[in-house]
Amino acid sequence: MNREEAPGKSPEEMYIQQKVRVLLMLKKMGSNLTPNEEAFLRNYAGVVHSQMSQLPQHPIDQGAEDVVMAFSRSETEDRRQ
Amino acid sequence: MMAMQMGEQEGPRKVMDWQQTYYSSDSGIQSGATTVRSDDGMTEYSKKYTITTTVAQNPAEVESQFALTRAQRVRAAMFPETVMEGTAILSTQTDPAQMTNVQKLAEPSQMLKTAIVHLINYQDDAEMATRAVPELTKLLNDDDPVVVNKAAQIVNQLTRKEASRRALMQSPQMVAAVVRAMQNTGDMETARATASILHNLSHQREGLLAIFKSGGIPALVRMLSSPMDSVLFYAITTLHNLLLHQEGAKMAVRLADGLQRMVPLLKKSNPKFLAITTDCLQLLSYGNQESKLIILANGGPEGLVQIMRNYNYEKLLWTTSRVLKVLSVCPSNKPAIVDAGGMQALGKHLTGSSQRLMQNCLWTLRNLSDAATKQEGLDSLLQVLVGLLSSDDMHMLTCATGVLSNLTCNNARNKSLVTRGNGVEALIHAILRASEKEDVVEPAVCALRHLTSRHPDAEIAQNAVRDHYGIPAIIKLLGQPYYWPVIKAAVGLVRNLALCPANQAPLRDAGAIPRLVNLLLKAHQDAQKHGSSSQQTYQDGVRMEEIVEGCTGALHIMARDPVNRVDIASMDTIPLFVQLLYSPVDNVKRVAAGVLCELAVEKQCANAIESEGAAAPLMELLHSSNEGIATYAAAVLFRISEDKNADYRKRVSVELTHSLFKHDPAAWDMAHNTVQMEGGYADEGEPGFYGYPEGMPMHPIDPDMVDEYPMNMQYDGMPGQQYTEPY
Repeated sequence: MNREEAPGKSPEEMYIQQKVRVLLMLKKMGSNLTPNEEAFLRNYAGVVHSQMSQLPQHPIDQGAEDVVMAFSRSETEDRRQ
Repeated sequence: MMAMQMGEQEGPRKVMDWQQTYYSSDSGIQSGATTVRSDDGMTEYSKKYTITTTVAQNPAEVESQFALTRAQRVRAAMFPETVMEGTAILSTQTDPAQMTNVQKLAEPSQMLKTAIVHLINYQDDAEMATRAVPELTKLLNDDDPVVVNKAAQIVNQLTRKEASRRALMQSPQMVAAVVRAMQNTGDMETARATASILHNLSHQREGLLAIFKSGGIPALVRMLSSPMDSVLFYAITTLHNLLLHQEGAKMAVRLADGLQRMVPLLKKSNPKFLAITTDCLQLLSYGNQESKLIILANGGPEGLVQIMRNYNYEKLLWTTSRVLKVLSVCPSNKPAIVDAGGMQALGKHLTGSSQRLMQNCLWTLRNLSDAATKQEGLDSLLQVLVGLLSSDDMHMLTCATGVLSNLTCNNARNKSLVTRGNGVEALIHAILRASEKEDVVEPAVCALRHLTSRHPDAEIAQNAVRDHYGIPAIIKLLGQPYYWPVIKAAVGLVRNLALCPANQAPLRDAGAIPRLVNLLLKAHQDAQKHGSSSQQTYQDGVRMEEIVEGCTGALHIMARDPVNRVDIASMDTIPLFVQLLYSPVDNVKRVAAGVLCELAVEKQCANAIESEGAAAPLMELLHSSNEGIATYAAAVLFRISEDKNADYRKRVSVELTHSLFKHDPAAWDMAHNTVQMEGGYADEGEPGFYGYPEGMPMHPIDPDMVDEYPMNMQYDGMPGQQYTEPY
């Protein structure tokens, strides 16, 4: 594969960025991190800092959407009183 | 008559003689004394004869009394008006406890006499009317409006009495003449009289038929535009009677544009008039979609809602609520009623004393509720509905839970209001009380599901379910007999409840995990049986794929708890979760990757996941445009590869680099919203996570680049690469 390396970004650094990114997203989605993962983020606090602003701002809703129930399918029989 | 001419008499003797003659005595039967007083008629007597007779005074009188025969007593009993005032009629009653035959017959025979008199009059009236009809008909058809007016007045009078009314309605020419006169007149009085005639005729079947056959309906509909209230009243009432009792009337009223004329009448202010008008609208629109649309087009919803808002007359509120109920099943009328404030107006009548009104309002609210999720100002309605949840009436519960379920759908404000208004507790109690009734349980569980997510007070609701002992009741719903809509709702609720750490142990203790796993297995097997996703399996209207997604999603959140994690893995679920990574449905992929991500925290589980060959599908999922899927997939791979060699980790990294896992927020949002992607490549060398300018189009992966790195563990990595960070 012919791929130019981004200036200053070794594969190692890219890996770190990607992992930081993934872990931050995980947290945003409500998952817990392992102790090792928390330690990893502490180690790369600088990368964490720069990645935080890059995260998508919209909330990442995961549960099933609220859905209306359609009750008015047919007229109920009407007894004239 | 004879008595009247007697005038003043010299004494009792002459009167007694008269009495004898009048009563034309038969052989006498001695009688006791009973005074019969006459109050009715025959005032001539009371004027001229004031003789009182008592038994004791005059021996001669007593003797004459005793000479009265039975016939005389009978006549006196039947025709008391013929008895002179003050006359004492001696009866033969010897035992005070036992009436004589004459006494027993007195009342019935008087009734009979009255009936005969009426018949005689009836006959007179009927004959007279019959003779007059042709002449009156001619006069009604006259060119002279004064003549028409007079004739109309007379006919109106005649229709007030039953006998003459019958004669009139039996003449089609007469009825047609009335209809014509009513339509053509410019005179108010004539209009009123003719409308009154038709109104009077409309109380009998024969009259209704006569009106119907004479083209009365179009004429009456025209009269609905009259400026005279009395004409309006006659017209609407007559039309009402026709709609109620005359076959073909509904069609005729519709054809005569009756609806278009009636709806504007909703602005009138007489409650009784409005009650009849709304009842007409109900009769015309029930089961008739076109009529409902005409009512809508003429401002019906606004007019009807106004009535609900402004009046207190129960009958009017009831008839109006019935029209709204009919309109509330029409998809076009629904939003119009809601926009006119229908929810709020109907909600005003849920706490009164009229059961029938309350029930109609509830059914209508339920029908409307799915169109009202964005309505504001429903605070008091929501409060009342929560209150109704304590009812034992199943109809009321069905409606209250249904409305609450819809109004809490995607509406954070309503969710908060209901949560803070003790809605959670009330819903749980409703579920417990109506556990056999799916029509109550399903919406109640849906409402709880709405309350436990996506609003600032969701956590309060999640805790409240536990605090009010709701967890065991909800887990029970996951058991047999399976009613899938309830199960689907309950599974979603369990998932939300598990978001609250304090609920994890109670959920586990109530047996959530085995139930969820069993449901998942069953649903997955059912879905597999039917092959491709194009042949989706429905049970009770629920797709088994939805159950698969829901159960896996619930297990995903429950797996955040370490004890639950172990339990879930111990039920041999990992192979199934890995299989679900291949699902064509994004949501299923996401929850499967999510639960594996949680399970992978445990080293043992991570190994098991790897052994199941999860790496391959996970690598694929790194390319997903769904951010959740890609994140979970990456996380699982990271967790699997924690103790792997550098080559493996690099492989993961490279895959991530080549993925569409862009960090640029705008591009991310575009991917999230599944915008169509254009061809071309991303700039090479750009890192996977940042650096793309705004608006950079998303590019698909060049398949050649993917194939360059075979998807297997025997990857021969680049020598010399060292990763210095500790793992």
